[in-house]
Amino acid sequence: MILKIAFRNTFRQKRRTILTALAMIVGFTLLSLTIGLSDGAYGNIITMFTRNRIGHIQVHREGYLDKPSLYKTIDNVSAVGEVIQSVEGVEAWTPRVYGAGLGSVGEKSTGIQIIGVDVARETQATRFDQKVVEGSTLGETASHEAVIGKGLAKIVSAAVGSEIVIVSQGADGSIANDLYRIVGIVESGDDATDRVGCYLHIEDAQELLVLNGRAHEIVVIVSNINQVDKITRAIKTQLSDSTLDVAPWQEVAKSFYRAMRTDQQGDAISRLVIMLIVAIGVLNTVLMSVLERTREYGVLKAVGTKPMQVFWLVVCEVVIIALGSICVGALLGVLVNYLLSIYGITYPEEITYGGMKLKTLYATVNVRCLVIPAITVMLSAAIVSLFPAIKAARILPAKAMRTH
Amino acid sequence: MEQNQKTDVIVAESVTKVYATDGIPVNALNGIDLTIQSGEFTALVGPSGSGKTTFLNIISGLDSPTEGKVWLAGKVLSEMSGNELSDFRRDNIGFIFQAYNLIPVLTVEENVEYIMLLAGVPKAERHERVIAMLESVGLTGVASRVPTQLSGGQQQRVAIARAMVSEPAIILADEPTANIDSKTGADLLEMMRRLNEETGMTFIFSTHDPMVMESARRLITLRDGRVDTDEAK
Repeated sequence: MILKIAFRNTFRQKRRTILTALAMIVGFTLLSLTIGLSDGAYGNIITMFTRNRIGHIQVHREGYLDKPSLYKTIDNVSAVGEVIQSVEGVEAWTPRVYGAGLGSVGEKSTGIQIIGVDVARETQATRFDQKVVEGSTLGETASHEAVIGKGLAKIVSAAVGSEIVIVSQGADGSIANDLYRIVGIVESGDDATDRVGCYLHIEDAQELLVLNGRAHEIVVIVSNINQVDKITRAIKTQLSDSTLDVAPWQEVAKSFYRAMRTDQQGDAISRLVIMLIVAIGVLNTVLMSVLERTREYGVLKAVGTKPMQVFWLVVCEVVIIALGSICVGALLGVLVNYLLSIYGITYPEEITYGGMKLKTLYATVNVRCLVIPAITVMLSAAIVSLFPAIKAARILPAKAMRTH
Repeated sequence: MEQNQKTDVIVAESVTKVYATDGIPVNALNGIDLTIQSGEFTALVGPSGSGKTTFLNIISGLDSPTEGKVWLAGKVLSEMSGNELSDFRRDNIGFIFQAYNLIPVLTVEENVEYIMLLAGVPKAERHERVIAMLESVGLTGVASRVPTQLSGGQQQRVAIARAMVSEPAIILADEPTANIDSKTGADLLEMMRRLNEETGMTFIFSTHDPMVMESARRLITLRDGRVDTDEAK
């Protein structure tokens, strides 16, 4: 009966109910939108960061991530790669070789990072070919070709067709040097990498650095980014090699990940502010409602309704409005996020985040967009109703029935 | 309940009530001693401000005395907790208010049923008793209406039905005829008198209405928060 009274009471003061519901609906939709945009933006950034560069999981020789070294290599690359590929959820893998050196084009020289890539695998894993903005990608067989970053090309005044001399140190202690023809210029989306990056075919790089088929890194791409941790554990188990480190992208790019998490915490504060504003609005209308119905609560208590039942009556009324508002808010939230996931919001100027350039902010529709606002709206509504409910429950019947 | 086996249902002993209005103490009741026996049909009369409603509120546990004690059906009201008082009122007292005070969002049937529902009476029994009670107060055919669809007299009949349906020992009626026309008032009074005689329930009225005074078998006059006269008819 208490529930019945509460339900019917919500339709008594339609205008007030609509106002209360509107505050909740707006709060829900705004929350859903901020989560959708935040998750969409970070999802986009993470996808770009992982799919274009570091992959979802990386395998190195033990300690390489903390202190990279030419000598910390994975010996049997193909065998390790095959084990990785056998793990469920792995989409692709690609080996890489890294080295530092000096690159000279004509009379201009600069420090470079040699990146040896397996062209076919790198293209499949990180869409390497799509980063080439001038010329062509590397050939699938080693033929002393180089693809250099756009920034590096500018520093050494190189163009497609130029020749670059690379001087480095071989793993056997020898002086490594060779001449490569620049066939393409890449723009990876990370300016810092593009200022030093010089991509060679992995066999050319292994020959230059005297690595004899070894690699420094295996980049793994998974089909579902949300299963990275699970797949990381599975790869570790399958490899069962304590001399190899298997790390998810969050560990590989610790500073990027921490910066992103800090940003997300900032979002949580803005969400809290939205809910506070909504809660104050709801509290106001509920308090008004309790004040207006003081006499009625007095009568209910006079005829034998217990204080706790009066308390639940007020809470139920707010919860019923909150439930209705959540349904409407969920529809609106999904609709707005869906539209923004297609059309996005274009930035007036391109922005850079974690070295990546972003032109448009896209939202995403996920469970978080519904669950977090629903819990927040319901909890804040319930909390906000506590004070008026206690007030109603503590009403003295004789005094209450003297009010008009 | 038989009329010849009367017990004391209400005993008020030195009941005093002081209100603080804007910090100024106002004595609403000044040491009232009164005993009401089961089956009485009693009217509390007196000018406005004499303490009638305050006394009704105190003997029903809706308000507490500043000093003194009230025993209702053998229990001291001031020693009960909020929940105990709620249960006690639900099981022992029926209220009829001047302004009817029906629950506006409930139908006539639901309003009458409400107290039985609180008391945990089974659905079938509730329905049966509600229909019988509505019939006895002359309200057949309006069970599904809400209070705003009824006249003042009909609303007061619903209030009477609500007060009596759970068969409480005492019915407290505060100016029950004040907001209805004299013919309806006379009908309702006649009905309550009949129910009093048939069921033996104790009726206590607070009233200015000469018709109620005429009908009452005991007339207690309050003046300045004291019992001025107490006469049985």
